[in-house]
Amino acid sequence: MKKKYGSSVLDISFRIITPFTLIYGVYVYLNGEISPGGGFQAGALLAVGVVLARLIMGAENKIYNVSGRSAVILAGVGTFIYALTGWVTMLRGGKFLDYGFLPFAIGSHGGHMWPALHATGILFIELGVTLCVMMTIIDILDVVVERTDIE
Amino acid sequence: MQNLIIEAALLLFLIGTTVSVIVLKDLLSATFVYCAFSYCAVLLYLMMGSPDVAFTEAVIGVVSTIYFVVALKKLDRWCK
Amino acid sequence: MRVLATIILFIVTSVFCLNVTDLPVIGDPDSAPNSHVTPHYIEFSEEDTGSPNIVTGVLADYRGFDTLWETTVMFIAGLTAVIILSKNREERFLKKKKGDKK
Repeated sequence: MKKKYGSSVLDISFRIITPFTLIYGVYVYLNGEISPGGGFQAGALLAVGVVLARLIMGAENKIYNVSGRSAVILAGVGTFIYALTGWVTMLRGGKFLDYGFLPFAIGSHGGHMWPALHATGILFIELGVTLCVMMTIIDILDVVVERTDIE
Repeated sequence: MQNLIIEAALLLFLIGTTVSVIVLKDLLSATFVYCAFSYCAVLLYLMMGSPDVAFTEAVIGVVSTIYFVVALKKLDRWCK
Repeated sequence: MRVLATIILFIVTSVFCLNVTDLPVIGDPDSAPNSHVTPHYIEFSEEDTGSPNIVTGVLADYRGFDTLWETTVMFIAGLTAVIILSKNREERFLKKKKGDKK
């Protein structure tokens, strides 16, 4: 898995499939409130994109790659973003994860403040879940590959 | 009626794939039969009207197949 | 032993199959889980949470605390795999041992 396979069919399909998968993952994350989807699915899709790039281009490709060490850190950062959203609402006088007390809102639901604030909170915690799931999947694959690659 | 027939066929296919995953001696083909099991479950979830769960199952089916194939590099392909 | 296992499996499977007939029909509005809090979610989730998808609203807003610990469990599972399977620590340990011998 460290070297690339070097087949022309794989190389060309890689150029089409991987960017499509990554963009579809971002779409599922941003559109999760309206259509089926959400943080977990978006994270798994993004991870599948990176894993495909690793399988086809080898572990040392420079285009779509996350190194093992930064994957562990970013998984923790994702969980921290989730908890931070809860702490911000607590510091402003609400309960834990009470999105009505967030300091700002992205977008407006027809001038109503309450649903806009809640949608913003959901967007932030989904970002945390997406990061955590994506990096955890890459993490486990990285460790298993490290174990199974016998020189 | 049509829905019931399709659902019954899918459930039978589900049982068949599950049994063959246990019985098969070739671990690589057992992995791909497990992948077929996961897509069968996706169709069943869609028929029950829960697209969110079906989406998750589809993505996780792909990820777990990749894990199994990578782990098979270290194991023997044939199970005794 | 195989015969005993087969008999036990057969009994358990038949008990499950007998109980399936007592389950409510899918989408039955009068069943127990559909009559307690589900009507409230269906009616008010869009103005409460601002998301048209009820599943996202329930997972991320009404049950946000559960999802937080679910994410933490995922993170801990990945961390455990890294700690147990990582080659780095093992190599460092082996190097230390070799250095002692020399």
